[in-house]
Amino acid sequence: MEPEIGLLLRVAFTLTGSWADAEDAVQETLVRAWNAVDSFDGAHSRAWLLTILRRTNANLHRRRRPDVVAEPGECSGARPAFGTARPLNPEDQIVETILEDTLERAVARLDPRFRTVLLLVDVDQLSYAEAADTLGVPVGTVMSRLSRARDRVRRQLRGCGSDNRSGGRQ
Amino acid sequence: MISGVQALLACHWSARRMQRYLDADPSAPLRPAEVRRLEAHLARCERCAQLAREHRLLRQSLLRWSDRHWPDDGSLTRMHGVLDQLVRDGLA
Repeated sequence: MEPEIGLLLRVAFTLTGSWADAEDAVQETLVRAWNAVDSFDGAHSRAWLLTILRRTNANLHRRRRPDVVAEPGECSGARPAFGTARPLNPEDQIVETILEDTLERAVARLDPRFRTVLLLVDVDQLSYAEAADTLGVPVGTVMSRLSRARDRVRRQLRGCGSDNRSGGRQ
Repeated sequence: MISGVQALLACHWSARRMQRYLDADPSAPLRPAEVRRLEAHLARCERCAQLAREHRLLRQSLLRWSDRHWPDDGSLTRMHGVLDQLVRDGLA
């Protein structure tokens, strides 16, 4: 379990949007995994832990947020879950400056179902199967949501960012 | 007319496989013949090649977020502490 703690925290942060809630979810996940370790067959430990994390988070979410927002439209002002910034090299800073605001706005506008898949795969670097385990949905659903999320963000970047990029669209 | 329809179908076929091609995820691999056909199409279709570039740019941009999407040392230390405590309690 130990090598996966960093990944579990990242995924929990994507699911909860808060490092404090992420720690709660991971702590509970570790306890549940430890108690169930005798029944674990030893294969696919990451998938096993992500499944426990999903169930744990669902339980904590129900206890913590009975007033959860159900309508995507009500989340239009939400921002993606970010951590503490690290220094970037000069080249990264240029690209980052051009795209960051547009990208953050585009991701924030996504339906939460699409945004979560995008963050799990493209930011947390989960495979389709791991994202599917984390969300409790089939791999095909992950691929479909990911495709829609990327298309929507890409179209917004195309509209807002192409004028600023050298070598942009022809 | 026919060549226009064929080109449209080729673009549609490529667009349906673009994500799997760029992600190369083990859950949904393309067959080698599909990869060859898609790459051949990208080499001659500027519109689809641009689409691929935009997808790559988006992935690179989001990948930069992962550097900032990392728990601080305090969180990691606390979670390792939880696990250590579980192990100690289990051995006691």
